[in-house]
Amino acid sequence: MPDLPHLPMPESDLRNSLQDAIRGSRADFTEIRLERVWSSAVAYRGSNLEGATTSLDAGGFVRCLNRGYGWGAASFTGLDRLPAMVTRAHELSLASLRDTPLQLAPVPIRIDEVRLDLDGDVRGVALADKQALLERLNDEMLAADRRVTDTQAAYHDEVTEYWFACSDGSMIYQLRPHVTLSAVAVAREDGAVERGLESIGLRRGWHSVQNQEELFRNAAKRAVGLLTAPRVKGGTYPVVLDPRLAGVFVHEALGHLCEADFVAENPEAQAMMTIGRRFGPDFLTVGDDGSAAGLRGTLPYDDEGTPTQNTLLVQNGVLVGRLHSRETAARLGEAPTGNARALSFRHPPLVRLTNTYVANGRGTLDELLRDIKLGVYACDALGGQTLLEDFSFTSGYGYMIRDGRLAELVKPVVLAGNLFSTLDRIDRIAGDFRWNQMGGGCGKGGQVPLPVSEGAPHIRLRDTLVGGEIE
Amino acid sequence: MIELLIEEASRRADAADVVMKTDETLTVAFDSGRLKSTSSAQECGFNLRVLHGGRLGFAGSTGQDPTALLDAAFASARLGPQVAIKLPAPAPLPAVRTHSPRAATLTAVDLIQLGRGMVDRLSIDGVKVNLVVERSIGSVRLANSRGVEGSYDVSTVSLSAELVQVRGDSVLITGDYVAATDSPTLAEMETMVERLLQRITWARRDAAPPKSGNLPVCFTPAGSAVLLLPLQQACSGKAVLQGISPLADQVNTPRFSSSFTLVDDPLADGRSGSRPMDDEGVPSRRLSLIEQGVVRNFIYDLETAARAGAQSTGHGRRSIFAKPQPAYSNLVVEPGHHTLKELLALIEDGLLVDDLLGVGQGNVIGGAFSQPVGLAYRVEKGEIVGRVKDAAVAGNAYELLGRVAGLGDQAQWIGSMAVPPLVIEGVAVVGA
Repeated sequence: MPDLPHLPMPESDLRNSLQDAIRGSRADFTEIRLERVWSSAVAYRGSNLEGATTSLDAGGFVRCLNRGYGWGAASFTGLDRLPAMVTRAHELSLASLRDTPLQLAPVPIRIDEVRLDLDGDVRGVALADKQALLERLNDEMLAADRRVTDTQAAYHDEVTEYWFACSDGSMIYQLRPHVTLSAVAVAREDGAVERGLESIGLRRGWHSVQNQEELFRNAAKRAVGLLTAPRVKGGTYPVVLDPRLAGVFVHEALGHLCEADFVAENPEAQAMMTIGRRFGPDFLTVGDDGSAAGLRGTLPYDDEGTPTQNTLLVQNGVLVGRLHSRETAARLGEAPTGNARALSFRHPPLVRLTNTYVANGRGTLDELLRDIKLGVYACDALGGQTLLEDFSFTSGYGYMIRDGRLAELVKPVVLAGNLFSTLDRIDRIAGDFRWNQMGGGCGKGGQVPLPVSEGAPHIRLRDTLVGGEIE
Repeated sequence: MIELLIEEASRRADAADVVMKTDETLTVAFDSGRLKSTSSAQECGFNLRVLHGGRLGFAGSTGQDPTALLDAAFASARLGPQVAIKLPAPAPLPAVRTHSPRAATLTAVDLIQLGRGMVDRLSIDGVKVNLVVERSIGSVRLANSRGVEGSYDVSTVSLSAELVQVRGDSVLITGDYVAATDSPTLAEMETMVERLLQRITWARRDAAPPKSGNLPVCFTPAGSAVLLLPLQQACSGKAVLQGISPLADQVNTPRFSSSFTLVDDPLADGRSGSRPMDDEGVPSRRLSLIEQGVVRNFIYDLETAARAGAQSTGHGRRSIFAKPQPAYSNLVVEPGHHTLKELLALIEDGLLVDDLLGVGQGNVIGGAFSQPVGLAYRVEKGEIVGRVKDAAVAGNAYELLGRVAGLGDQAQWIGSMAVPPLVIEGVAVVGA
């Protein structure tokens, strides 16, 4: 028998209590989010099942704003104390006296219900079936090679019921699924330990995680291959980024800088990021699209009730836009872009990226490699980090490029980037754009992992610093 | 609800334990020096584990429905792993200060005042101050089927500050963090301000990276994460059990410099990782991981210990929604004998590294790393001459910790870790 979720509180009751709570608020502006999350998880470590379980999580977040004061907010588990929480948020706002007013840019009032395609509702699939699926996938890794000594395989799904209401009059309901599969294979030989990682994360359901054996086999093959792969010698090289790493590159290099909360209160930062300034070559176009179909960073509305959209950030090498919450938009006299996102009801919305992309250029990978005598082809992404001017992006593996061709496999490289010099070093963008579907996510202000996605074609950089051993 | 859960679970299962965690956090946030928000967060959740038919199951919930949680835990046990864990019996718990009654009395107004004081101290021309002051009070309650009933209160007051300086096209972002069971003292706040402003002052001038080579590098407490993360992973019993810890077969072997000692200390008074017992009811004790360069112990929770044929060291930690895992409490690197000035004097030409980019994103437990600098300074003849950009630092953490040339005489607490600055010989530095 499937493990059935508990009976939900009738939707109409929740809707009514939301409306009552908004009406009962004494604050100038009140915003409420409620969430009820049903989730299940299975994990394997090596040949052992770590566990399989289902969880229920429910709670809410209330924010109030009053003229002359800052935000007051209250988050809570359980859904039964809403009026008290609204009062609490109002009082906390009144404790936060400010000399300069906080304002919110207007957004259209929306009454909407959005039920995303559950694609095989995970709540109706037996936990035993999820365990069997993951066991099979984990076995693919263990059986791939005798040197695979450890694995971590994880399956996670959730279905979230989400309510948003604010005193402007908006009332939005969303039903949204999320599913992730992740594979870590660890290979060991002669004291060397290497890892291969693969993952997918989708706003979909049970159907989309079928037939993923190849993904897990790849993780195992990668780990084994890296055991004998040499390290790139430290120095500067021409580097070609595969679409996955190119996506993370643009997320770190430009994406975060275009989050308006960095510039909103900082005139020097505004001067650095002036609209119209040149960033990169004239064939570089970058955007962020929270409305793109079928991606992990996609949702119909952000957590302030603003519809998501495609926002151009850099067009033909010129800065043309930035990403906003209602607050940063009002501060800079621009329009909200639907980028105010919260990790869950435990957190306030921050200006965040969604699906960040580099638009297609021209040509193929072979054409990018052809005239490189000695270089690095950096593939897949383990992560990235930015301090806004300087940033890093870490590949999962790579190949040396010798005389215009891919040569030996090399260990992962951590690439150093600088906003001004690295973007100027982009000398080719291929015409083979694709979105990635990796799991994981982005972190900011203690909210991690927020589901995001990136998309890009192959990108080539001149003279890029690769750290490493020195002779 | 906890009594009901343990009573019902004990009746139906071979063994069971349940943890309840509550927390109420009050947060004030300043954005570019201005008060932006005051927030309260309330959290209450249960994590139930049962051993049923020889199989382990667990479930967590923030809901208040005991039947749903019991059903979920037993459903989990039907599929769960077969591991014979033995829950602890009632035992006296050691004394340790985990909360301050004073912290509970702090109001939003108190926190705002504390924050304004810090903002004023940190406000210098051209530098924006983002600051978060947080006070959390909570409790941990645990009960098991052998009669253990333990509980303790916790409180944390934390200050996290971030300075952002944009000069033309140059950006400097640097942060600092203190947390303890009570408000920081005036002296602690002054020290934090000094540390932050010092980094801005040192960065007034730019310096060229040194010529690429193997050089001495001083790692600040924050900068040393790249060296300590691999050790943290390698000293986990889980990594040892899975056969991926490079230290697994080196117990009682001198592996690192004799000046290097690493201890897990849950009994340090008033720190954010302090606790009288772990989340499985095992009494806390101090545990040497590396003693004067010699590998001594690894940390275990009950399940990992049962699988490995070892004993729990009292390092099980569980969140509301996950089963226990081995985790550190307060991780302490023992300080040495050098002032910072003396440490820098060991460097003829090298770097002071405060922040590296991308740390923790690669094959951490392997120990090899290569990271671009986020915030680093050139050191010449023992003096800091300016900020270095466009450089990367590389090496193997296990090897580098065998080349410790000196440790600072003061460990800095960063959350639940205490680390002194340290100088390492022969670190690969690559300049652009």
